[in-house]
Amino acid sequence: MGSDPGRRRALGLLVSGGSSLLLGGCGLNRWSNAVGAATQPLNERIEALLQGKGPLPEFRRSQVEPAALLVNSFNGTPNLPPESYRLVVNGAVRRPLRLDLAALAALPQRECVVRHVCVEGWAAIVAWSGPRLADVLALAGPSPLGAYLAIRSADQYFETWDLASALHPQTLLATHMNGAPLPVANGAPVRLASPIKLGYKQSKWVTGLELMTSLGDRLGTWEDRGYEWFAGL
Amino acid sequence: MGGNRKGLTGHCGEFCRWIVWQRVQGQLGRLTAFPWRQPVITLSDASGSARPGAHPLWTRAFHGFNLLVLLLMAGSGLEIYNANPVFGGRAGATVPEWLTLGGWLAGGRDWHFGVMGLYAANLGLWIGLLLQRRHRRLADGGDLGTLRRSASPPRRRLASHRITYTLMLVVLAFSLITGLAMYKPAQLWWLVSLFAFAEPAGHSSWQTLRVCHLATIPAIALLLVAHVGLSWRVGGLRLLRRMAL
Repeated sequence: MGSDPGRRRALGLLVSGGSSLLLGGCGLNRWSNAVGAATQPLNERIEALLQGKGPLPEFRRSQVEPAALLVNSFNGTPNLPPESYRLVVNGAVRRPLRLDLAALAALPQRECVVRHVCVEGWAAIVAWSGPRLADVLALAGPSPLGAYLAIRSADQYFETWDLASALHPQTLLATHMNGAPLPVANGAPVRLASPIKLGYKQSKWVTGLELMTSLGDRLGTWEDRGYEWFAGL
Repeated sequence: MGGNRKGLTGHCGEFCRWIVWQRVQGQLGRLTAFPWRQPVITLSDASGSARPGAHPLWTRAFHGFNLLVLLLMAGSGLEIYNANPVFGGRAGATVPEWLTLGGWLAGGRDWHFGVMGLYAANLGLWIGLLLQRRHRRLADGGDLGTLRRSASPPRRRLASHRITYTLMLVVLAFSLITGLAMYKPAQLWWLVSLFAFAEPAGHSSWQTLRVCHLATIPAIALLLVAHVGLSWRVGGLRLLRRMAL
């Protein structure tokens, strides 16, 4: 009556799947990477499609939440003396640059009051200000073949971005936060800030930008350990 | 068939008719577009076939698949929860590891975002089919009136089951909407701004979203208990097994 062997087997599979979940997912945790590898390419393509090129609506300065912004660090807090700081811009560019803080301050300054969203689940509204990343790259004369940007940090943190996200009008090389100079814990003197990427894409203590025509072996400090690469918001 | 009859003779009313009709449909092996327009057929009317009492394939497929996918979404969601507890932040209590899926934050996200598309497609298809073929199963204002006024237990059970069932669909869709708002808060900023209602009380729209998204787990668990309990009264374990597989 009813249950043929095939359905019984399926019921058994369902029950054992459920109970292994309850027993810590030991069996299933091993598959996490494979599930991510199978589904991320499509998800990332949809994310890229969703992401517009125009600016997103911003918050009011009064909505800033300084206490909500937590600090994560991958490798301690590097100390970069402002006088000797140089930002290296190289790769597929006509004019490789070494910019000091005065050169960055001489570029048009922009403030963005946006939500900073961490992969861990928390978020904070922050007012970032500094030159646009797009303006800094334009100074170096980027090759039309450039498609990705590698970002190096003083603490050896490494990131790669798609160029469209890097050129977004609200993606900044922030030197100020909430109206004051950027604190060291938040990435002084220069960090990436953008409303369209998760926090782990927004490198602190940035010292080098390299325009690349293709992605290399390293995608990023956390991406190489299993985090999603595009990480769009 | 004794087991079937025992469950079915307990009460009549529309809910029994669904069950009877579904079984008959299973025996005949085809779907009818508008079952409520058909005459009520009792079990004895149906000629025997290889699969007595089976529900339409799409009913069973949705139930089985949805159960599996909900377990995966809840387990991986709790893994993500533990990276920064919604209540208490970094100092907050975490969920026991045996309830989580993924092993670490990135693994939890792999599962959560890997399965979300299947979950959304399954739910969307189901709601579409319900609206097209079985919209009488969805609750309306009359069911609340029945609960308030009717003294007939079968009628009250039917009304409460329709409400439970409809609420489940609402909660599942709500989990999808709140999840989507947190997955793409920049592009779907207007969706996030719908959750700004608690800002006067000092809760950011982000925190409200996180609480709402998390709350769908206990909500769907409670509704599931009610749904299974009410179904049990109609057809016992046999009905549950036939619904899921």
